Amino acid sequence: METNGGGASPIDEKLRAELRAIVGTGALVERASELKVYECDGWTIEKSRPDLLVMPRTAAEVSATLKALHKRKIAFVPRGAGTGLSGGALPIQAPVMICTSRMNRILSIDLANRRVEVEAGVVNLHVSNAVHADGYFYAPDPSSQMACTIGGNIAENSGGPHTLKYGVTTNHVLAVELVLPDGEIVELGDPAEDRWGYDLVGAVIGAEGTAGIVTRATLKLLREPQTRQTLLAIFPDVESATRAVSATIAAGIIPGAIEMMDRLIIRAVEAAFHLGLPDDAEAVLIIELDGLTAGMGERLTRVSELMRGCGAREVRIARDEAERANIWKGRKRAFGAVGRLAPNYATQDGVVPRTKLPQILRAIASIAERHRLRIGNVFHAGDGNIHPIVLYDERDADEVRRAIEAGRDILRACVQLGGSLSGEHGIGAEKIQEMPLLFSPDDLMVMTELRRVFDPEQRSNPNKIIPTPGACVEVAAPHRQAAL
Amino acid sequence: MRLEPETEARNPALRAATELSALVGADRLRTPEGREALAADVIVEPHNADELSAIVFKCEVDGIPLAPLGGARTLCELRRTHVTLGVSLARMTRIIDYEPDDMTVTVEAGLTLGALNQTLAAHRQHLPLDPPDPPSVALGALIGAAKAGPLRLSEGAVRDLLIGVRFVGHGGRIVRAGGRVVKNVTGYDLMKVMTGSHGTLGIVIEASFKVRPMPERYTMAVLSCRDAAAAFEAAARAHDALPLIHIEVTSPGVAQNLGVAPDQFGVIAGLCGNRSEIDYQCERMRWLCGDAKCEIVQLASALRLYQRLRDFTLPVAGLSARIATLPASLAQSLQDCGAEFCAHAGCGVAELFMPGELGAEEAATLVARWRAIAIGARGHLRLLSAPPALRAGLDFFGAPSGGVLALSRRLKAAFDPSGVFNPGCFIGGI
Repeated sequence: METNGGGASPIDEKLRAELRAIVGTGALVERASELKVYECDGWTIEKSRPDLLVMPRTAAEVSATLKALHKRKIAFVPRGAGTGLSGGALPIQAPVMICTSRMNRILSIDLANRRVEVEAGVVNLHVSNAVHADGYFYAPDPSSQMACTIGGNIAENSGGPHTLKYGVTTNHVLAVELVLPDGEIVELGDPAEDRWGYDLVGAVIGAEGTAGIVTRATLKLLREPQTRQTLLAIFPDVESATRAVSATIAAGIIPGAIEMMDRLIIRAVEAAFHLGLPDDAEAVLIIELDGLTAGMGERLTRVSELMRGCGAREVRIARDEAERANIWKGRKRAFGAVGRLAPNYATQDGVVPRTKLPQILRAIASIAERHRLRIGNVFHAGDGNIHPIVLYDERDADEVRRAIEAGRDILRACVQLGGSLSGEHGIGAEKIQEMPLLFSPDDLMVMTELRRVFDPEQRSNPNKIIPTPGACVEVAAPHRQAAL
Repeated sequence: MRLEPETEARNPALRAATELSALVGADRLRTPEGREALAADVIVEPHNADELSAIVFKCEVDGIPLAPLGGARTLCELRRTHVTLGVSLARMTRIIDYEPDDMTVTVEAGLTLGALNQTLAAHRQHLPLDPPDPPSVALGALIGAAKAGPLRLSEGAVRDLLIGVRFVGHGGRIVRAGGRVVKNVTGYDLMKVMTGSHGTLGIVIEASFKVRPMPERYTMAVLSCRDAAAAFEAAARAHDALPLIHIEVTSPGVAQNLGVAPDQFGVIAGLCGNRSEIDYQCERMRWLCGDAKCEIVQLASALRLYQRLRDFTLPVAGLSARIATLPASLAQSLQDCGAEFCAHAGCGVAELFMPGELGAEEAATLVARWRAIAIGARGHLRLLSAPPALRAGLDFFGAPSGGVLALSRRLKAAFDPSGVFNPGCFIGGI
């Protein structure tokens, strides 16, 4: 049987027995039919099935599992909820998958210090839910927050719409418990701020699971703002919408979020949710302001004026929570709405300096034309983090090829405009070949040296982030939609 | 600089200076001035990355210890021996790219925070990192020492604002990570690794930062409290109720020096926003402070007081340290330490000042006691300065756990295999 290692499986009966003794029979998935679920994450274009899945419940079990693998020099891939969008949890020459989703306890909530300590498998939204009634929240809010885990967020340094004001995962994690690839458990950071010494926590966050397996984390909580107000501005063209984004920022206003949808997405959203968006609108901005109730009226007026000044033909302010929720429903489910337009889609995650948004949107339009594809845009405009959605049909091999090529062209355009390959989805397997567009061989070598500090044998999630020769996966026609 | 040929053979610093003169030109070298002499024997001032790359390569081949001067100077209050070569980036001070609408800026690391903020101010923006005396803090030193000030509560620390970095690493390699965009997960986060590394992994030559709009209006509420517990309680209530941009608590000695709350514990809250927001917050502050006296300081007076607060340090020779604990434990920890303090109360971070003369043993005991208090509150403590005579007997950082120390040593060995970057004064003797 062809295995993930590419030859005869290194997983023998003795190892299976050892792992069963560590985690229990029920925490091991061995049957090929059950393992099929784990052959990809939200990046569905590439697929590769692990030979074995282990689902430990404690750091000690993770440690014992990794020690058993370390003895045999077997590579492994960590996995949270599998909602990642760049193939970070795709096993590539890593026969064993270790899933942290059973480690799902919130260990302590300390409101006086605005700290919460969680196991890695806790779902992102559950953290905010646990403290919401007391007036606190956990800021990073990826669109998959109903499913994705804190461990996965740490691996990918996840963002979300509200990162414009509040920052991404790395800004909200103070300490982690990390199981190194040789099984040693280390505590990095502590619950106090201003840690001295090397920022090892910062090195592990965003390392995409290549530094070992994070099993526990201490997170910072924020106080809920007194009020949130959402407004929706409708523009006759994309350029004036992007100008309005810059004008808002230039006025010294940092909204909680600024999101943009272009015509293709507006139509899809309208067809699905009937928000009353005009059929001929070319661009919509969703702006959320948060803060003190006292100054909110002035601020809303100011932003509305800025929108109109930049050419908005209509500005709607959500009058109540129901209207606000409705506007956000359109944004957060935009991906789902797009599902009505084409059998398949792939989401890109490039990022450009905010002022280059008009250029990148023009570039995307011309890339779409060149490859004879439809590409919609719904994205975090305040951050310059674009999410072009490339529509295609997996039954058409040529269209799949063009979709992949269009994605690469978009990333090249981002880099040419002074941007970067990924704002929040990670490099994973998806964008690994594009890394040399941005970094020199020396840059990549030093990054590899950093990775080897934690994982000298490069057995933790091998063949990710930094391109190496010889890594291969099956590029299959996708049969499952990307997660949101 | 002039060299004395007869001593050159015996003195490694002079030998290094001679050879570096040949490499990058004698006009790049100078003798240390003032406090620099505590940090380095010879100063080199490269004009660009390539020159620094050649210098680093040479130092590695010849085993010449070197350190960025900012980092070396920050640690010169603590270090026991100097490095041979101090690298000053005083000639590398360009603003490479500043697009106000992007709210990002890319600069050479020799530029000072003060000079940068002067440029940004023309667009009503700033880099909201506020260690003492910004005109003397080079951005490279800001990164190397992870300096911060009162605004860390609302704006974060260096690690939260640094989005791209270029540094000269071992072998003279010029390495880049991150970029000029505010949101970026492309590749490993070397920005975090360089922040707070005190020049032990390489020399940062270029940095990109997120910048922020300056507050529309800025006002302070100053409370005077009879005891520390009341002061911290008021600070906690204010922090809980309002989106403060800073909240400081000062001991009576510090408050007196700042000219606020004579003989009392001071609470200094920073309020910002539009007119309605400021009015609301002032009213709330008055209501929250109960019996304590609450004074509202506005406009130019508020800015002057903020600058005094930011730049504050007790002007005496003694020990100073930074303690960090869980925020709710800070009041008790400071009381247990029994020193004058200036606390970023919302963050759980404070500077401790022990102004009096101390004997060597007494100082070591005191530091050990302070550290035990910090660790008891799930935090840590590091020394910021100590008189030269006491340094040999003092543990500046405290020992990290075995696992952290081993990883730190591996990191140092990976980034600096020759051990020439600012050796011997970081955690665990790194």
